[in-house]
Amino acid sequence: MTDGLPRYPDYDVLRKRNTVSWNDPTRTAIDRRLAVDRDPHTLTEGEFATLQAICDRVVPQEQGPDLVPIAAYVDQELTLDLSLGYRYAGLPPAKEAWHRAIAALDAESVKAFDAPFVAVDAARRDTLLTRMQKGELKDPAWGDMAPDLFFKQHVLVDIVAAYYAHPTAWSRIGYGGPASPRGYVRMGFGMRDPWEAAEAHPGEEAKAARKNRNV
Amino acid sequence: MISLPDLLMPSRSGRDARARRALATLSRQASALRSAPRVPAVLAPKGPPAAKSVVVGSAQKLNQASGVLAFSVLTDSALEHYRGSFRNRAMFTPLVVSTLALAASVHGTADDRPDVHVARDVVFGLTALTGLIGTGFHVYNVGSRQGGYRWLNFFYRAPIGAPMAIAISGVLGNMSERLRRTPRGTPPTLYGLDAGKALSLFTALSLAGTTGEAWLLHFRGNFQNPFMYTPVTIPPASGALLADAALRGGASRRSAARAGMIATALAGLAGTGFHMRGVARMMGGWRNWTQNLLDGPPIPTPPAFTGLALAGLAALDLLERRDD
Amino acid sequence: MSDKILTNREPLRSGLDLEAMHRPRARNGRAPDPHVPGGWFPMREHREDEAVDFAIVGTGAGGGVLAARLAEMGFSVVAFDAGPYFRPLEDFASDETAQSQLFWTDRRVTDGENPLKLGSNNSGKAVGGSTVHYAMVALRQRPESFRSRTKQGFGADWPVDWREMWHYYAEAEEALKISGPISYPWGPSRPRYPYRQHDLNAAALTLAKGAEKLGIKWTETPLATLSAPRGKSPPCVYRGFCRVGCSTNAKQSMLVTFIPRAIKAGAEVRDLAMVGRIETDKQGLATGLHYHRDGAWRFQRARNVVVAGYAIETPRLLLNSASDRHRHGLANSSGLVGKYLMTQSNVAVWGEMDEEVRWNKGPPSLAITEHWNYDDSKDFFGGYIHMSQGPLPVEWASVHTGARGLWGKALQDEMAKYNHMVGLKMVGEMMPQERNTVTLADEEDQYGLKVARVTYSWCDNDKAMIEHSLDFMGRQLEASGARNVWRQPDDTNHLAGTARMGDNRRTSVVDTNCRSWDVPNLFVCDGSVFPTTGGVNPSLTIQALALRTADRIQALARRGEL
Ligand SMILES: Cc1cc2nc3c(=O)[nH]c(=O)nc-3n(C[C@H](O)[C@H](O)[C@H](O)COP(=O)(O)OP(=O)(O)OC[C@H]3O[C@@H](n4cnc5c(N)ncnc54)[C@H](O)[C@@H]3O)c2cc1C
Ligand code: SF4
Repeated sequence: MTDGLPRYPDYDVLRKRNTVSWNDPTRTAIDRRLAVDRDPHTLTEGEFATLQAICDRVVPQEQGPDLVPIAAYVDQELTLDLSLGYRYAGLPPAKEAWHRAIAALDAESVKAFDAPFVAVDAARRDTLLTRMQKGELKDPAWGDMAPDLFFKQHVLVDIVAAYYAHPTAWSRIGYGGPASPRGYVRMGFGMRDPWEAAEAHPGEEAKAARKNRNV
Repeated sequence: MISLPDLLMPSRSGRDARARRALATLSRQASALRSAPRVPAVLAPKGPPAAKSVVVGSAQKLNQASGVLAFSVLTDSALEHYRGSFRNRAMFTPLVVSTLALAASVHGTADDRPDVHVARDVVFGLTALTGLIGTGFHVYNVGSRQGGYRWLNFFYRAPIGAPMAIAISGVLGNMSERLRRTPRGTPPTLYGLDAGKALSLFTALSLAGTTGEAWLLHFRGNFQNPFMYTPVTIPPASGALLADAALRGGASRRSAARAGMIATALAGLAGTGFHMRGVARMMGGWRNWTQNLLDGPPIPTPPAFTGLALAGLAALDLLERRDD
Repeated sequence: MSDKILTNREPLRSGLDLEAMHRPRARNGRAPDPHVPGGWFPMREHREDEAVDFAIVGTGAGGGVLAARLAEMGFSVVAFDAGPYFRPLEDFASDETAQSQLFWTDRRVTDGENPLKLGSNNSGKAVGGSTVHYAMVALRQRPESFRSRTKQGFGADWPVDWREMWHYYAEAEEALKISGPISYPWGPSRPRYPYRQHDLNAAALTLAKGAEKLGIKWTETPLATLSAPRGKSPPCVYRGFCRVGCSTNAKQSMLVTFIPRAIKAGAEVRDLAMVGRIETDKQGLATGLHYHRDGAWRFQRARNVVVAGYAIETPRLLLNSASDRHRHGLANSSGLVGKYLMTQSNVAVWGEMDEEVRWNKGPPSLAITEHWNYDDSKDFFGGYIHMSQGPLPVEWASVHTGARGLWGKALQDEMAKYNHMVGLKMVGEMMPQERNTVTLADEEDQYGLKVARVTYSWCDNDKAMIEHSLDFMGRQLEASGARNVWRQPDDTNHLAGTARMGDNRRTSVVDTNCRSWDVPNLFVCDGSVFPTTGGVNPSLTIQALALRTADRIQALARRGEL
């Protein structure tokens, strides 16, 4: 609680899975999401490891059972050849974009730090990612793809969307999650339905945790 | 056993107290009233009974009325204030007070002594006061949010009329105590007015107010079901008949008013049924009761009309006694 | 063209993999009843080799309304939609990602100085069109908006009188049982909304608070979601997933309103039916259309064709329907098909409140102000509304990444404040510019059809409006008590233009009846016909215009001019 950010101790949105807050299609969709195949199908093992290293920096996570397998979701998107519904003219289709970006990032890493991206430490990874975001990477491996555009449209979109589509992320930010057929009744300031996450106010962590075990 | 004719006709003497059964009686009124149309005789009550019994009987009926109202307020405020998460301690008040009023009413219903019962009297006085203060709170609550006194806030903030229901319950209880004190052989009065007239007018006024509340909420629901017009037509019309009977007298006016009161009482009970059906029509129906009991039509409120109708019937007994 | 086409990849992403997305449901004399799990309506069917009176492409705000009205007038109607026919109660998950099944995510390319984001924020693909996942804000354009050139000094005039439009607005509001305030604080008086307003959530109260502090008016947003039951639709349960589909059926989308009406009146709806080309004969008249359904291309004959695919697919279809006689695309003698594309600016300001807000509860925009649509003391053309907001987590994260480039711990810390955030978002009128276009790219989609290239650049007026709104909304949000207010300066949403209506065949694509100047049995009935986009969300205007177009078509038919 030192950073002053809201906390929702013991809140797990999955506790509501069998309540009226979830309908059947939701259960199906989330069950399948949680059961994602954790092995890559489109990216090579090597590319996948690099992707995981990128994910670790874009959305740092603590090791544990709740870990969101972000890279697996990104690989799945590529395998299914999904699109957002548009593509910037300067970008190749997603699959090709990721293949190219991972290769280019490794090339940049070797050039700057004499080691591939997976082998450099967090600070160096951040340096490389920051330079990608700023469009400062110039290795020929990028081809005609602008690194900053790739960062904006894929690194930040594919990875972040995969993470925040996961119940683990919802629980962390105290989001109510699925809500059908039951919606919400209390909508005013500071109002909470008993099936919403309780925020821990200073000194009342145990009380909030108790409520959160009963959502 | 109190049977349907007991409820609808002037009381006869000799009924003794049955405190233990009084609660059950209140709940049984529902089924008793539903069979009313099969007993047209109730519309033509028989000859003049003894003064004391009419007065005490009316007092007991008023206790039934105040009890039904208190029960309606108890359940409604429990739901609504639970919805409001009891953010303010004062939000427990109507629960406590209406429970007391309910207990006092049950006690009074079973008590046929012609005496003021001090504890009951205090409770009813407190109840009326609470209703007035609660109205103040609700008026403040409506105006205190963005937009102030605009439709939005009348629709969704604390319902202005709700605390008045408990105030009415208190006043009816208070009237009941005053009636009991009527000396044998003197015409009963309330606050210096002829009792039948005073009670009739008060009931008619209360019906008008409750109608206003129902109108507001049914307007919010856009009268999407034609039956939603029931509580904004039958009760005020019946209230008008009652006032008419009180002011102008006459057996036919009284019969009309009595029919109106029966219709109002039935409408109140039917309303509960409609509201239950309304809850079932909400998303997820009864399975989703945690949402729908709060967001659907309030099940506890329609019986308030039944309570007022009982007061109206008591008033008619008194009028009958006056006019005969 | 190959007949084994995977037309739809969305089911895979959604994790639901609904049958509705693979195999057409509306067939064999019946169509899904959206209100009943597993339920059906009887549906009249039409033969492909017999010309129907009207073949309609698209069943959204424009096409859905028109299909119902024309069928009710006794015309034979077949309405095609590339998207699936859902039953929300059994098909919709409460989940942002799964519900991408509602979006048009076929291949499209965007460029220009300010390339548009497409898909989730402006393009639906379902029976019911974008209204299946729209935010339900149902507003009228102010009278002067229909005469922007003469009254306001920019853009083009509509060949329609505002009073006529206001008449049809009322009809559309009644048909959708819009829930709105008892009296609306701006513009000429209008009838009371058919259903009462919804209660406000904390996010909306924030807007009201700020507005009151700054002394401007606000109101409860007129919304196409029920505040009381209607037929088989229960009222809104305030679950807040509106923009990814309403599994309650409280939302009065075309899917639960005009589509059932259309089918009841004898129209046929063909789902998962992508129209690829409109056929014309030697006289240049439309004879029917080619569509892809069940893995094969088919042809439906028609006496009249209506295109209602929205501002990207409509011009794309017209351009893809070029023939010897119409070398630059159908209905394009003016050269304006695909030009004057307009979006609406959707920039926002965001801030934190000390109290818990939990803005995901309830429809996203329960309160609104039209102040800057009706105040004429601005230093830019056009106007805007602004409204309260309640984005769900994936979308909210995309605001941080898109507008601020956040990632790592900075992103997670910001996301942790989710339940305390508030925001104000504008819907602003961007100028019609000829250079903003939909053209055909040198790429093909899964059907083998040329994909759309969407080119967009903001003009100085657009930028001035955005600056004005960010400044004003920022002040308002601060006045409401929000801290750390920041700007999201790059968002856009609704689309319009690309087949504009007008009085002159050289400067417009369709006439006041929304009929093509070039092909007299071809109509356009969707947001593409807007000459200007106005400062309000477009769907109610599209619906009102569709109601009017139906009446116009009936009048033409009576005069033997069809
Ligand atoms: C997330 C979101 C929120 C919105 N919020 C609001 C709001 O609050 N208020 C408001 O007024 N507007 C809102 N809108 C915009 C509104 O939904 C659209 O402006 C409106 O639906 C457009 O109507 P339309 O008939 O032109 O097209 P659409 O409703 O998009 O319908 C077009 C239909 O045509 C089909 N189609 C296209 N091409 C073909 C083809 N070749 N063959 C077969 N079928 C085809 C598509 O599948 C689609 O179903 C929102 C939109 C989105 C996406
Ligand atoms: S908030 Fe209301 S309209 Fe929106 S999805 Fe939920 S029930 Fe439907």
